[in-house]
Amino acid sequence: MSMLHASQVDDRTRLTTTPSTGDIMRWVIIATLPGLATMTFFFGLGVVSNVVLATAFGLGLEALFLRLRQRNLRSLNDASALLTGVLLGASLPPASPWWLIGIGMVAAIVVAKQLYGGLGQNPFNPAMVGYALLLVSFPTYMTLWPAPQSLWPDTLGSQIMGSISLEQIDALSGATPLDAFKHKADGLTASQFWANPPLPPGTLRAWQWIAAAWTAGGALLLAKRLISWHIPVAMLGSMTAAAALIYVFNPENAASPWLHLFTGATLFGAFFIATDPVSAATSQRGKLIYGAGIGLLVIVIRTWGGYPDAVAFAVLLMNLCVPLLDIYTVPAAAEPRSADRARP
Amino acid sequence: MARTFEFHGGVYPPERKQRSQGPVRHARLPGRVVLRLDQHAGRPALATVAVGDSVKVGTPIARRDGMISAALHASISGQVTQVDRHTITIDGDGVDTWQRLTPLEWRTANAEQLLTRLEQSGVVGLGGAGFPAHIKARVGERQRIDTLVVNAAECEPYITVDDLTLQQYALDVLEGAQLIASLCGAKQIVVGIEDNKTEAISALHQAVAGSQPLSVTVSVIATRYPSGGERQLIKTLLNRDVPDKGLPADVGVLCQNPGTLLAALRSVRDGEPLIERLVTLTGEAIADPGNRWVRIGTPMATLLDEAGLNRSVLHQLVEGGPMMGTPLADLEGVVTKTTNCLIAATRDELPPAPPESPCIRCGACEEVCPANLLPQQLHWYARAQDDAKLAHYRLFDCIECNACSYVCPSHIPLVADYRHAKTRLRHQRLETAKAEHAKHRFEWRQARLAREEAEKQARRQARRAKQTTQQTDSQATSPQADLRSLRIAQTAAKAAVRKAEKNLARAAQQDPQQPHDDLEIQLATAQENLQAAEARLAEAREAGEPQETP
Repeated sequence: MSMLHASQVDDRTRLTTTPSTGDIMRWVIIATLPGLATMTFFFGLGVVSNVVLATAFGLGLEALFLRLRQRNLRSLNDASALLTGVLLGASLPPASPWWLIGIGMVAAIVVAKQLYGGLGQNPFNPAMVGYALLLVSFPTYMTLWPAPQSLWPDTLGSQIMGSISLEQIDALSGATPLDAFKHKADGLTASQFWANPPLPPGTLRAWQWIAAAWTAGGALLLAKRLISWHIPVAMLGSMTAAAALIYVFNPENAASPWLHLFTGATLFGAFFIATDPVSAATSQRGKLIYGAGIGLLVIVIRTWGGYPDAVAFAVLLMNLCVPLLDIYTVPAAAEPRSADRARP
Repeated sequence: MARTFEFHGGVYPPERKQRSQGPVRHARLPGRVVLRLDQHAGRPALATVAVGDSVKVGTPIARRDGMISAALHASISGQVTQVDRHTITIDGDGVDTWQRLTPLEWRTANAEQLLTRLEQSGVVGLGGAGFPAHIKARVGERQRIDTLVVNAAECEPYITVDDLTLQQYALDVLEGAQLIASLCGAKQIVVGIEDNKTEAISALHQAVAGSQPLSVTVSVIATRYPSGGERQLIKTLLNRDVPDKGLPADVGVLCQNPGTLLAALRSVRDGEPLIERLVTLTGEAIADPGNRWVRIGTPMATLLDEAGLNRSVLHQLVEGGPMMGTPLADLEGVVTKTTNCLIAATRDELPPAPPESPCIRCGACEEVCPANLLPQQLHWYARAQDDAKLAHYRLFDCIECNACSYVCPSHIPLVADYRHAKTRLRHQRLETAKAEHAKHRFEWRQARLAREEAEKQARRQARRAKQTTQQTDSQATSPQADLRSLRIAQTAAKAAVRKAEKNLARAAQQDPQQPHDDLEIQLATAQENLQAAEARLAEAREAGEPQETP
């Protein structure tokens, strides 16, 4: 056994120390801050309330189930439940009611994670399991995105408490750009759709700023070498290629690659969801295929499926493929090459 | 400086080699030594002395058993006071009288003499594996070797044995390299050394000028763990990939460590068997660190006390380096031929590992793995005991360098898991081999009994035939045919022995830490068959001769 551990070594000659698992999770949480802050700026404190409620549920459920499974509560220090809460909170429409968040976190922490054996054992991305469950169970609540609004909307409290009627919320909310484009009137071409401003003012700009903020967080993760470039690059690359291909052949009905990349959950998903190491493929080759698969599925579902955004389903579907990918992408053993035997 | 190449992965642990610099000294002569019979790769040696025997320094006290094994010599003069299954204890007389072998001049002696000398002297690899040097040097008989690599990379933290060996004995090391190179037929010698050993490098450069007949290249490589792994070093120095499940010999290379070359030279030139070695004594719990010549079998406690061990701050004693070495539970151990370093560490120095947390498959291990494995997958399947998957993920290609455990953010003792799995799988293999051996012996006995019965029958018939008719011509042809088939059988048995020897030598070299009893059994079986075939042939010749000669 190694008696030296990189995370314990304080070595002045080398500055590259490896963080512990808890440190990795905490760094990922830190990297979500620009994205969360930008979302809050445009959509109000409902984003913060989502995250606070989701993390509270996450920690509570994790603690409860660690206790039930007679595990050491010290595992809470690994911050993985906290991270799942942050990620699910960031995915939900701002100021989601507490019970919706609670149900989502039960699916994420209890079903997707603890019932499979806890951290490291889950085949599916917990936050996306929670999100997908909510999306198919409560579609109305999950598609109610407000238009860009003030930091402290009047209805914030009643929305969180769930004491406001759906009609009232409906009146407050707009649509996401992808949603609006998906449900554009029949016979309307893309140019006609954009010619007549389809979204409340500032919506598109807000989404682009948010995408940029997630990218900044992703850059931090890459710079700290907490994620490898393989999955985001493969996912964004295959998305762009597939979207461009469709757009070239059908510019009047298809969303442009640009719309695909810079709105919706694309960049958030590429850097924070698809890169979850537990449920992603293992080898570098496997990661490239995994990421590319997610990108393709996102475009396929967005173009021909029933959901305007599709990152959660694409990730979950590729999670399913991971065992197979892992089997076929084992790095090859070194083979003797004829050049090796050339004598000097 | 020669061009060097990159191997995959690797880590940069703190070096901590500074404390054990400074000139090499001799440790005080111990009053008592305990020599373990299993201090080399392969089978334990067999004691050839009894309690009460007087021995001198260099008196053989145990002989090798089986093919992969090594002889053992008294390391102090005195009296044998205890012999048990595992150890021989000698109480010293404090006089230190020697019994040397006749010095040989390696440039004129023939290969057989030199190989016998290495074997008689009990020279084994001093880098840690303890592989018998004479077996390794024999590789040239089977495969073409063009390069002898002197492995002076010494990439483990703390250890400075090779460094100091080269600083002080560079000429002798190169002389030993010339000797081994001539034995295995190498055409060039390449010394691989990490760039953090500046003094050793300059000593080498000075010594290289006078080294002959083969040309010596000193290749200074970047400091990165585990550059001293055989495969990694060969890749770095020569850009040759040793195939998985292969040996350096498969790409024309033989690797030796500087200490081994020095010991080989001394056994030949000075007739000194391997009775002492250099050991790095280091760690913050030692007041007087450094490298010492230590007699094999010296108790660690004696040695460490002499170096000023402060037992109250000693937290962990390690034999070997902190990456691949063995943590020792107490001070009761003795120095063996493979003890290259003793680290008496304080708690701050080598703190206990933080509690293990679950693997999140972050892939840090995969990035640093010099064998290009997927340690996270191996971890999963090792714990699940999924043997098919372990084979798929190439468990047996793991060189156990611990780079993965070093970087693991979840502090999982990965290599410990792999070793566990390897041991379990080897055990299964050994059981199969044993069962086969038993079956083989049973069948062989049945065949022998049947043959003897048939021969008896034939003789009786022949007697009866002789009595009734005086015909002899019909008998003359059958022993001839018999003799031919027996000769064929003997040749086949010889070939089987050679094959078994080759298999064993390869397997043992690939994995010197592990017992290869299954292969030793196969070799023994082949040798038995050969003996039987030869006996039968001799018998048939004797029986046939009176009729053939007239």
